[in-house]
Amino acid sequence: MTGRVFAERGIKRIMFRNLAAAAIVSIAMLFTGSIHGSAADNQAGAKMVLDTWYRLMLELVRHTPTYTPPVASRAMGYVGVTAYEAIASGSARMESLGGQLNGLAAPPSRQKSVVYDEAVVLEAALAKVVRELFSNTGPTGQRAMGAMSAKLGKTVTAGVAADIVERSTAYGTELADHILRWAAADGGATIINMGFPVSYSLKPGPAAWRPTSLIVQQQAPLLPGWGEIRPFAMPAGAICALPPPPAYSEDPGSEFHRQAREVHETSRTLTDEQRTIARFWADDAMLSTTPPGHWISIALQIIRRDNLSLERGTDVLARLGIAVADAFIGCWHDKFRYDLLRPVTYIRRLIDPKWESLLITPPFPEYPSGHSTQSGAAATVLTAVLGEGFAFEDATLVPEGMPTRRFASFWQAAEEAGLSRLYGGIHFRAAIVQGLAQGRCIGAYAAALRTLR
Amino acid sequence: MRSFLAVTLVAALTAASTAASSGEGQPVVPTFANETAAAGIEHQFTGGWQFMVGGGVATFDCDGDTKPDVYIAGGTSKAALFRNTSTSGGPLKFEKVESGAELDAVTGAYPLDIDSDGITDLVIPRVGEDVLMRGKGGCRFERANEAWGFDGGDAWSTAYSATWEKGATWPTLAIGTYIDRKQEDFPWGNCTDSKLYRPAADGNGFAKPNALAPSYCALSMLFTDWNRSGTPSLRVSNDREYYKGGQEQLWHVDPGKPPRLYTPEEGWKPLKIWGMGIASQDLNADGYPEYFLTSMADNKLQTLVDPGKGGPPKPSYADIAFKSGVIAQRPHIGDDVKPSTAWHAQFEDMNNDGRPDLFIAKGNVSEMPDFAMRDPNNLLLQKSDGTFVEVGDKAGVASTLTARGASIADFNRDGKLDLLVVNRNGPTEIWRNMSEAIGNWIDVSPRQDGANPDAIGAWIEIRDGERTLIREVTSGGGHVSGAKTAVHFGTGSSVAVDLRIIWPDGRVGRWRNVATRASHGVAKGTEELLR
Repeated sequence: MTGRVFAERGIKRIMFRNLAAAAIVSIAMLFTGSIHGSAADNQAGAKMVLDTWYRLMLELVRHTPTYTPPVASRAMGYVGVTAYEAIASGSARMESLGGQLNGLAAPPSRQKSVVYDEAVVLEAALAKVVRELFSNTGPTGQRAMGAMSAKLGKTVTAGVAADIVERSTAYGTELADHILRWAAADGGATIINMGFPVSYSLKPGPAAWRPTSLIVQQQAPLLPGWGEIRPFAMPAGAICALPPPPAYSEDPGSEFHRQAREVHETSRTLTDEQRTIARFWADDAMLSTTPPGHWISIALQIIRRDNLSLERGTDVLARLGIAVADAFIGCWHDKFRYDLLRPVTYIRRLIDPKWESLLITPPFPEYPSGHSTQSGAAATVLTAVLGEGFAFEDATLVPEGMPTRRFASFWQAAEEAGLSRLYGGIHFRAAIVQGLAQGRCIGAYAAALRTLR
Repeated sequence: MRSFLAVTLVAALTAASTAASSGEGQPVVPTFANETAAAGIEHQFTGGWQFMVGGGVATFDCDGDTKPDVYIAGGTSKAALFRNTSTSGGPLKFEKVESGAELDAVTGAYPLDIDSDGITDLVIPRVGEDVLMRGKGGCRFERANEAWGFDGGDAWSTAYSATWEKGATWPTLAIGTYIDRKQEDFPWGNCTDSKLYRPAADGNGFAKPNALAPSYCALSMLFTDWNRSGTPSLRVSNDREYYKGGQEQLWHVDPGKPPRLYTPEEGWKPLKIWGMGIASQDLNADGYPEYFLTSMADNKLQTLVDPGKGGPPKPSYADIAFKSGVIAQRPHIGDDVKPSTAWHAQFEDMNNDGRPDLFIAKGNVSEMPDFAMRDPNNLLLQKSDGTFVEVGDKAGVASTLTARGASIADFNRDGKLDLLVVNRNGPTEIWRNMSEAIGNWIDVSPRQDGANPDAIGAWIEIRDGERTLIREVTSGGGHVSGAKTAVHFGTGSSVAVDLRIIWPDGRVGRWRNVATRASHGVAKGTEELLR
């Protein structure tokens, strides 16, 4: 880095850089993305910090046992807001989310007329928030976070004047503390028994959800109270409540039975493409980045591909994180309101006793489809930020041996993600259609946030 | 070559117990005394991240006195050999002896007569170079990597199994490896290649190893003839924490051909678990082994979906852990409801009632707060209906130290199986089986001339009119722990049973009636009992 050269050339250069950096901050306010010299390096460093912590977070999601999709989405919300506020606090172009998000007071301000290093601020803030949110991860995750903090900390501070490092670190830490205090009060911070109630009474009746696995923990549904935790941007978990699913019926002429037969028939006539789609969006907890992580991965790929500025990149990640987090809250609200059984339960009961779904049926009620709701919310907010008809490639699953998929728009991807649950045999069509609609409603709240001026 | 060891242990003269159950199908609970303090095994498997898995033990007789000795991994401490000085039926006693195998960075160990000279050698997986130690007799060993052409590599080795391929005079070794330990920031998705060492073309030692690619961070491997084809396949249990796109594996290892994975088209079903240990035994006497796979939270007990109906079985397994009562997903004592972490597992008949029981070593990986920190070991006794009941606490073996590897063996040669558990960053523990009212037993040691003297790959069958018991002689599995000891059968109230051996080359030995409460060596060819 240029900063390291500064250090080698002496203190005068450092003093010059401090002055230059102050000037460049002002210039950057006007010409973000096209700046040169030290501030450009500073931007590059901050982008590297942002990308690296997000990559690590996606790994930690996969390897931290409490990080089921709802819990993962919550982390993505808070990490997104942290990154956004870290950059927004030094940018006149960005409006703080303080006061816009439920319960988030105005974040601490930076001191006026002094220089901060954006990469150092971001590193301090993200390191603290990620390490706290994933404090329960295993020894390898702890080791990786420690190694990452040390490595990034050394990289971003190299060649930066000590007073700037100190000030920037202090500010990033203060901001992180502010976010963590806010997060601690949302009702979702403590996860017991990986989110499965230790005792739980199944609801009576033929339409009610029944456990679908032989795993002991999963004899109770995942996180039945998640619909009640504090959302980020939408007013409450019930704000985008859905109409009920088709009335439960065992009558072969009923709509419910017809939708069950559709799941059954689809599973028996799956094309290779449908099978690929089901697996591409499977996003199983503990085996993947989870559904919200899949969308974060998509956003990261776009940010890298288009070399988005820090302002735009953090705007995308914050609003996307907020949207998927709110989507899981809204979706879970209705899952436990309707408590509907899964296709595998109904189909084995009435249509085909030996039927198996292609995907593993998740351990919670069916309606609406969580992946559909959160994909609808993700598509809504990404379309709002990046535009209609925004084409992209998704290589999230390449390390798993699956191919890159191409999409003409975010909604094409969201609709495919929704349908993947039908192909996988874990959702009826109504849960997908209504889930996407619910996501559109929820995502609009994140899309409406005031961010870049 | 060392001569065949003739072993027949005359039954103790105390009145033979014939207890098979305590009534109502409830098995007799064996009782154990923790003799750690007095037994003379002062040893710990120690270390940080690179030793979060492992901590195994090799159990075998290194001095020819028929009593199993133990070589225990030490992690950052030196591995150590403890010679068994117990008297028959007496308290467990060991003395640490200089063996020449005091290596560091050892994760586990397995005994095997690699060069078929009648003296047990050691396969020692390590963090770093794996080492083969040639047994010299008298509990002394010497490094044999160079002499045997064994390239020990430089990996984090955590699994092993061996077989003798048809016609081979040297064994084929599989060594499973774990994470690329140089990947500090992003270790996930960085499993290094496990290796398959086949005999050298000149019939002396090993050829250069082949990668068992793809590899998915193996924590247990087992050559097992799962379909009774006569050619063992290699089962690999992998830790899903670190692989991407991985799953449990079953490899075809056909003589003269490269290893290849069983596929979904052949019936193999993907399974992704935190695989840590494999135990196998035929629990339902259908001739095919069941496999118990340890993991975090729920464990798996697999049985063939369609054994032998309409042609050779496909490698499709159903998980019967839940209905069998061996899911063992959380501590069975204490008030901690968090999930367990399971490592070494082993089927053995701990109360000699003729039904194999299951021991599971438990222990948190390393300060994982969402998993039980005080995680007791399990002892699950098989009931007459084939389900299991937890008795670890009643039996006295429910230690809550951080267990990893283990060994179940008759250390004091009284016909009752004892237990040794290797704990991570804690003392190795040992228990003596003090049970009085338990059943009869026999120990069987098949022996053959030439290569593979311990008949790895043989099947031992016992029948007594009430039951048939079948055990495969294997080398591998568990959690970096293995034994080369007599194969133990509980026989309940039977004072004599029919015994036969199906030898590794497929030859079926003759049935012969043998007395229980005794150890029997059986020689291939004559089928005579060795004395």
